[in-house]
Amino acid sequence: MAENDVFVEMECFQLCHDGEEVCGDDFLFERLEGENRHLAVLSDGLGSGIKANLLACMTTTMALEFIRSDMDVMLSAETIMDTLPVCEVRKISYATFTVFDLQIGGKSRIIEMDNPPFIHLRNGKDLKVSRQAMTSERWPDRRVQLSEIYAVAGDRLIVFSDGVAQAGLGQPGKYKFGWRREGALEFIQETIAADPAISARDLSQKVVYAARSRNKDNRCIDDISCMVIYLRKPRKLLLLTGPPFRAESDAAYADLVRNFDGKVILSGGTTANIVSRELQRPIDVDMKLVMKAGSLPPPARMQGVDLVTEGILTLTDVTQRLEADTPLDTPVPLVSKEMIELFRQSDEIELVVGTKVNEAHQDPSLPVDLEIRRNIVRRLKNVLETKYRKRVLMRFF
Amino acid sequence: MSDVKKIKVEICLGTTCYVLGSFRLSSLEEQLPPNLKDRVEVVGCACLEVCHDRNYGNAPFVRIGERIVDNATVEKVIEVLQEMVAAGGSNE
Ligand code: FES
Repeated sequence: MAENDVFVEMECFQLCHDGEEVCGDDFLFERLEGENRHLAVLSDGLGSGIKANLLACMTTTMALEFIRSDMDVMLSAETIMDTLPVCEVRKISYATFTVFDLQIGGKSRIIEMDNPPFIHLRNGKDLKVSRQAMTSERWPDRRVQLSEIYAVAGDRLIVFSDGVAQAGLGQPGKYKFGWRREGALEFIQETIAADPAISARDLSQKVVYAARSRNKDNRCIDDISCMVIYLRKPRKLLLLTGPPFRAESDAAYADLVRNFDGKVILSGGTTANIVSRELQRPIDVDMKLVMKAGSLPPPARMQGVDLVTEGILTLTDVTQRLEADTPLDTPVPLVSKEMIELFRQSDEIELVVGTKVNEAHQDPSLPVDLEIRRNIVRRLKNVLETKYRKRVLMRFF
Repeated sequence: MSDVKKIKVEICLGTTCYVLGSFRLSSLEEQLPPNLKDRVEVVGCACLEVCHDRNYGNAPFVRIGERIVDNATVEKVIEVLQEMVAAGGSNE
């Protein structure tokens, strides 16, 4: 597989300690496209709640900064430990961390301090990682470990916080000392065996819920986080919106759909009509769905296309929902739900904007002109890149 | 009358028509009078491409057979359907 044919999916799923509003574990990701590098950090702050959150966030922020600038490992770790505020109760400053510095097609470095050891899986097999231990003169009780690995397409790197490793502690049965690495590993391997292409997003979620279910009464007695990094063949998605600038290009426009190797969304009535006419594939709109579709026109179907939608209103709604940190209050329209799900499942998204200027519209107040289409697609691209870490290509047709 | 072709009613769910109320026509099928029930097929469709054209009046639009009905409401559509059935054709 060619280097640029690997997509690095990085996801972290978390549940907070019961009764807390913020998580005492924190994570950060960064993609350095130019250098072909991917950075990921998971930190577990001492305790739970806001104090722990603060420790963890400071740690991830510093760690990411240091690793990006290739600062010496020991110096970085010491600086982090020196900087963290001291916990008044326990008189220690403490946050564990794991840092991944992945070089696709090259040597990757992993730095760990006191988190449960990360797992490197290849075809479901637990690869042996050799770790080099380092100690700090100033912080002799802390153990920093450095490993170097070569990650290839198909590999998964997994790390979790104590909330996973200690899940079920004290419960009767095989794991009365907690789930630990062995228990979690077994679960992960079974999950992958059942679904070999499972995404990082789904796997991290499964691990966290499985960990919680081991605790008495399904409770979160600690913050529970699981980070999964999956190097996989990119899942591609193509979205067409708007008619092409020149009608002569209609056939070529429709061919994008015919020739695409991945999922396809057509967003916009005219867009769908053009593709339907050129490829001779009818559009199927189920009128009965209108009542159940919520506040937007319902999703429609076309053979070889995964979703056909109305244009501007739908794209606007989807963009707003992707941008909002919490789900918007209104119930999610059916069509937005489908489109968001398709985006989330994809790694590489190509947004093609047809640039035909609309003929004078009968109601100029309606938001259907080209500038609006362009702007909303730009916003969509931006949120998919920054918040969902997708690789997004936008072009005009 | 046994194998009369059904009259196709296409309700536009394009942006303009939807915003201007075509979703209210989703109950059309249930509201059809008994004499029309078996003679009509109701479907949704993407923009009928008449909203760009002033010759066609105002959205929302419905296409009945070949005919475009503007300012469409359930009542208006039924009225047109009755006329067409009375005239004896499935198409105009
Ligand atoms: S939106 Fe109905 S005709 Fe264009």
